[in-house]
This record gives sequence, C-alpha cells and structure tokens, in this order.
Amino acid sequence: MSAEPLLQLCSVSKSFNGLAAVNDVSFAMRRGEVVGLVGPNGSGKTTTINLISGITAVDSGRILLEGQSIERRRPFRRVQLGINRTFQVPKPFRDMTVAENIEVALEFSERDGADAECILTDLGLAAQRNKLARSLTVCQQKMLDLGRALATSPQLLLIDEIGAGLNPSELRDIADLLIRLSRRGTALVVVEHLLNFVNRITDHVIVLNAGVTLFEGTLQAASADSDVIAAFLGG
Amino acid sequence: MALLEYALMGGVLYGIFFSLVAIGLNLVFGVMRMINLAHGQFVMLGGFGACVLYQDLGLNPILGIPLAIAGAVVVGYPLYYAVVPRLQRSRDPEMLSFILFFGLAQVIEAVAVFVFGADQRSLPPETLGAGSVGLLWQQFPDSWWLAASVSVVSILGLYFYLTRTKLGFATRAVMTNREEALVTGIDVDRISVIALIMGLALAGMAGVFVPFLLGSVDPSIGTGLTTSSFAIIIIGSLGRPLGTVAGGLVFGLGSMLMQTYFSSWSNLVPYGLLVIIVLVRPTGLFGRPLRQA
Amino acid sequence: MRKALRPADAITLGMLAAVFFLTPHLYSNQSLLFTMMTFITLAQGFNLLYGFTGYLPFGYVGFFGAGAYGTSLLVLNAHLPAIAAVIGGGAAAVVAALILSPLLRLSGAYFAIANLAASQILYLIVANPALSSVTGGPYGLNIQKTFAPQSSYDAMLLVMLFTCAIAIFFCNSRFGLALRAMTQDYVSAQMAGINIVKLRLVVWLISAAVAGLAGGIYAWNISVFYPEAVFGLQISVFAIVFALFGGVGTVIGPILGAIALYTLYSVIGISLPQYFELIYGSLIVLLALFLPEGVLSLMTWRRIDVR
Repeated sequence: MSAEPLLQLCSVSKSFNGLAAVNDVSFAMRRGEVVGLVGPNGSGKTTTINLISGITAVDSGRILLEGQSIERRRPFRRVQLGINRTFQVPKPFRDMTVAENIEVALEFSERDGADAECILTDLGLAAQRNKLARSLTVCQQKMLDLGRALATSPQLLLIDEIGAGLNPSELRDIADLLIRLSRRGTALVVVEHLLNFVNRITDHVIVLNAGVTLFEGTLQAASADSDVIAAFLGG
Repeated sequence: MALLEYALMGGVLYGIFFSLVAIGLNLVFGVMRMINLAHGQFVMLGGFGACVLYQDLGLNPILGIPLAIAGAVVVGYPLYYAVVPRLQRSRDPEMLSFILFFGLAQVIEAVAVFVFGADQRSLPPETLGAGSVGLLWQQFPDSWWLAASVSVVSILGLYFYLTRTKLGFATRAVMTNREEALVTGIDVDRISVIALIMGLALAGMAGVFVPFLLGSVDPSIGTGLTTSSFAIIIIGSLGRPLGTVAGGLVFGLGSMLMQTYFSSWSNLVPYGLLVIIVLVRPTGLFGRPLRQA
Repeated sequence: MRKALRPADAITLGMLAAVFFLTPHLYSNQSLLFTMMTFITLAQGFNLLYGFTGYLPFGYVGFFGAGAYGTSLLVLNAHLPAIAAVIGGGAAAVVAALILSPLLRLSGAYFAIANLAASQILYLIVANPALSSVTGGPYGLNIQKTFAPQSSYDAMLLVMLFTCAIAIFFCNSRFGLALRAMTQDYVSAQMAGINIVKLRLVVWLISAAVAGLAGGIYAWNISVFYPEAVFGLQISVFAIVFALFGGVGTVIGPILGAIALYTLYSVIGISLPQYFELIYGSLIVLLALFLPEGVLSLMTWRRIDVR
C-alpha cells in the first residue's frame, strides 16, 4: 500500500453569487480510509462532494487523485478514474428497471470488478430487479443510487446523507456494507448528520462550518471542541 | 448624419413599442413557466381588431385597446382552465406547453385567414393623430409617439402591479418558486389566470399599434413576432418587466440601424439577436440566474 | 433487448421497402410517393434527436435546406455528378450542425427556439438578394441537368430505410441504452460514466446528416426550387407533427405518423391548405392534451412493446 494519498484537496474554493460555499478547504485521504464529513446545514458538505465528483467546477485550488490533477476533468472521466457518489435526493433512471439501472453503470464505467448480482443482493434489491425505478420506494431508490455507484467499481466513494429516512436496522445494514467496502480497499467520504451512524463506520471526521474546515480528528475529540460545539449550537 | 439620428431616435421609439409586444410573453413564462408560442398570433389578432374597428365599424382604432383587454378576459380564462392543469400534471410541462401552444398558434392563424383573409391590411396613420412630433430635429408620426407612450404606461403599470399590490407580490412569489408559493397558501391558479389574461391583453394592445409601426398586418406575422419577443425578453432577463424595456431598446435600435445601413439584412436582426444572446449570456443583461427549469 | 436486429424490426424495414418499391407500379403518382418518403425520412430524422435525447429541433428544416443548397451548389459550381453532390449536401448539413453545436448547451425550450432562429438565419442568408450571384437569392436554383426521377426516387428510398435502420439501432443497442439513460437523468448518466457531451453531439450530427441527405435528394428530384420550398417552416412542422402523432422514441411511430398524416394532407390539404393548417393545429393541441406520447401509446396501454 503506497503512502501517497489517494485523494488530496488543496485549498479548494467555490463561491455562488458571491457567497463562499467552500472556502480554502484542504485535506487528504489514503486508500481504504473512511472519513466522515460533518457540519451544520449549509456548511459546504454537499458542495465539497460536488466538487470532488465534478458536478460543480472549482473556482480555485486543486484536486488530486493519485497525484494527478483532476479538477478540470469532466464528471464522466472521474467516474472512469474511479470516483463516484450518491445523491441526497436519489436520481435513478426512472423508466428503466432496477437491473437496467445497474447495467448502465456497469457498461459505461469501463472499470472491472463489479458484479450486478452481488450488488443487488447486498442492497436488498434482488427481488425488485425487474421493477421500474420510478415505482420503488424512496429508500429503495437510495439503495439503487448506491448500487449504480458501486457498479462503477469506485476506488473513492462519496456518500451524501444516505442515512436520512432509514430505520435503525437499515442503518446498521448500510453501515456494515460501507465497512466491508472500506476493508476491500474503497475509500469513503461520508457526509452525514446522523453522528451515531458516522461513529459506527469511522473514527476520523472533518467538521465543516460555513465552508471552512473547523476541525479534523476523532469524533470524540470533535464533540469536546468548543469551536465545533459553537458551530452546531450557534453563538 | 441625419440618417443616423433618425435611426437612433426611431430605434428608441420602435424599441419601446416592441417592449410592449414582448412583455406579455415575459409575464406568462415567468409565472407559468409555459412558453406561449401563440403569443405573436394574439398580437396579430389585436392588429386585426384595430383594423376591423376602423374599416368595418368606422370607429377609432384606439378602441382596440379596451377591446384587447375584454378579449383577453374572454379567451384567457377558459384557455387557462382547459389547458394548464393538464399540462402541469404531465411529465414535461415546459416542452409539452411548447408543442401545445404551437398548435394553438397554427389554429389561430388558420382561423384568422378564414375570417380576415390572407391579405395585408393597413390603417391610415392619421387615425391616431394627423401630425408628427419632433424631437432632436427628427419627425416621427403621432402614432409612433402614442404607441411608445402606451407602452411606457403599460409597463410602468405592470411594474407597479408587481411591486405595490398584494396580488403583485404573490405573483412575484410564484415567479420565483411555484412550489413554495403553493405551500404558503397562495392561490397559484388564480395568480396564473390573472397573469395569462394580462399577458394576452398586453399582446392585444400592442397589436393595435402594429399596423402603424410595421406598416400592415396579416395572419402570417405571428411567428416572427413571437421570435422577436423571445429575443427581447431573454436579452432583458426573464421575469423582469423593466428588463424587457432594455431588451426592446436593444432590439429596436438594432433593427433600425440595420434597416438604415444594411437594409437587405434587416430581417435577420431578431433571429441573430436571439442566437447570440442565448449562446453568450442566456441569463440576459440583468443576469439573475434562472430558476432551473 | 441487446440484439441488434429483432425480427419485428426486420419485418418493419422489409415492409417499408416493399411498399415503396412496389407501389409505383400500381399508383402512378410517383411524385406523391417520393414526397411521402421524404417526410418519413424527416420525421424519423427528427425522432432520432427528439425521441432519443429530448432536444426538440424546431428548426430541423434548416438542415434539409442546407442539404438541398449544398447539393445544388456542388452540381452547379463543381459540376459533380448527382450522387456525389447529394453526399456533399449531407456533409453541408453536418458542417452546419457542427457550427450550431454550441446550441446543445441550452436546454428545453431555449434550444428549440434558438434552433428555429438559427434555421431562419440560414434561410434569410441564402434567400438574400445580395447573394443572388452565389445562392440564387430569392430566385432559387435550377439543377435540371441532373434531373433523374427514378434514380432520385431510389436514392430517397435507400436513405429512408437507412434512417429507420439507425432508429432500430438506437432502440436496441448499447448506444441506445446510453441515450435513454442520458435522457432520463443526465447527471446520473454522467455518474455512470457516460460522456453525454459527445453522445448528444453524435446524435445531433446524425440527425442533421439525415435531413441533409434528404434535402439533397429532394433538390435532385425537383430540380428547380425557391428557397421557401426547402427552408419553409411548414416542413419542420410536418416532420414534428408526424413524429409526435405516431409516437417518438420508437421506430414505427414516425413511419406510421408520416404515412397517415401525409395521406390526409394530400387528400384534403393540397386543395384547401388553410383547412389543413386548422386541422393539424388542432391535432397538435389535442395530442398535447390527451396523447402526448403519440398514437402508439394507445398500444402500450395494452402492453404491446412498441420499441
């Protein structure tokens, strides 16, 4: 395992209409590492995911994957390099079946290693394989979204608030799945409000507030840090 | 040099008039997010209304303005309830409305040919004032000044409606975010019907002056007017009534200057402007980012 | 579903070929059949873009005209034989499409209107009296020296079948899968590794090429024409209505729509054009309100897979 980080963000910034959503953020991750990205609403967590996955372009700064600059690459290229993500509001291919949704990602990611059957089973969608995506429940659509990402055999997976709306047993299953993924070498950035869920899968969190990195370290230390407490509670 | 001055001054008047032509489309698109591709045909109907009033009934064509307002109420209300709820429930309301209103445009054009004949009709300029008014050593017919004045008054009226009245505030809320407006208890349907009626009325009113500013009216002018209106509202930024005036001025000056110096290419102006603006700056001169369609 | 050519598709192509190959022996109005084939091709070409990517080219006729003029100018100035000139016409349309490709950045209605404006610009430039010496201006062009009704008929038949074959390919192939994904959610499609910019450009160029070839062959067939005959908005409208009526996103939708409505047009429309405008206008309104997916959607209700 090389010591070079898999992902590096170097002074990345992004503004919308003059408001800095992400302001000079830097961090690095190694292969297989799991990082929780937490912070109050509007702190720039989803924007960071958008910047890494390429949905949004950086204003300044660099994003390096295995040492190569990718901040100018288009999203589909980043997928082919092994970055993928889930969406807070799932966006499946509504008029295609569950199986077809996975098939598209398998076909076009140009990456080996994923197996559609395993993915469907792991996500509890095997029985729904021939149902149209639009007829799934919201939870199932979230799982399908994750399945699409997994079908591209990512080496870096960005998870955007997948916990919302899941019941405790579903949360446990997803947490276990994510841990299994990380043990197999997939790096994860998990944006999440549910701190118990984050605690289950990782030790290492980055706290954002108003686009700025407030804290990086263990969750326990974060919850004792006065700046972090102030950010979450206000004042 | 006088040629340039004439073109500039004329362009301003022509442009202000065209702001009135375009503003109805702006309102409808801004509020309902639907493209009224039949907009130009409604303007055309206003023009024929004025002609009928004068040529068949011997009345002053200016009465076309109240006629347009009345017509808009009579047509707008049933049109809205027949069409819009259904469209809003469909998968892609914006494109479907595009297609539907396009069909409506064809229907209106065909009916106009039946009722009025396919020939051009004109009105003697004196009907709206026998003289001409000068400004900066250029003379323009009364009808042009009247058209520009009516435009200014109407657009200011719309601006005050949107900024000073309760209904107007609600309308702007709907224009900004329809779903949110719905859940705040605003009667979105009522706001939209009113906006549609106002949009049609403004189109009809503009139509009254078409025989004077464009020389004549015939059933086929609708499509060109719709495209020009589009160019104007996009230049002026969607949803901003005062922006439409800016768009109209750009259009008017551009047309007049082209007409003066390269007249055989002047019919390209509306289309050229449209293509340039959507490629270079689709949010218009006053670039407020669009609500994502 | 990933087979290249299903039996149903082969039958469709075969029947289409047979109809237009054999009918001239029974019905002498070859010109009508030719025009019908032209519209089937245009409706299908329109369908390739709208039905599979969601972009509505309201100015589709621009490519038709570009092909007609490209072909004619090659015949007149470069003295190329007809077939080479027709291919040149197709190329002209592709060049026009490349120049207009920035329009693909626009969405929905903006694209549609801008496309209409672009085709109008092309028309007004070509028809401008100032360019009469180059393009014939408003007086049109005359390429009678290549007049060949039978050859041009056969050529249009081939192009029509070719266009339908492309539609079959779009329905059944991996390429088509990517298209459907892109149309249903273009962000997720990117996150599935699909290069949506390249994909929609390719479809755009193919759709333009088809219209260009059709335009070139049409010019070859009628030999003498004014700019309005190949740039008229009505041609776009026909292609769009025919395809929408039959059902876009399918192979046979545009074919059926074109045959049905063009037959209707030739029965009542040529003699009474204003009635036809009223009819197809009302048809569009009714379609948008009640049958937005076209006539074929009636069959889908009964669970017949029309793709």
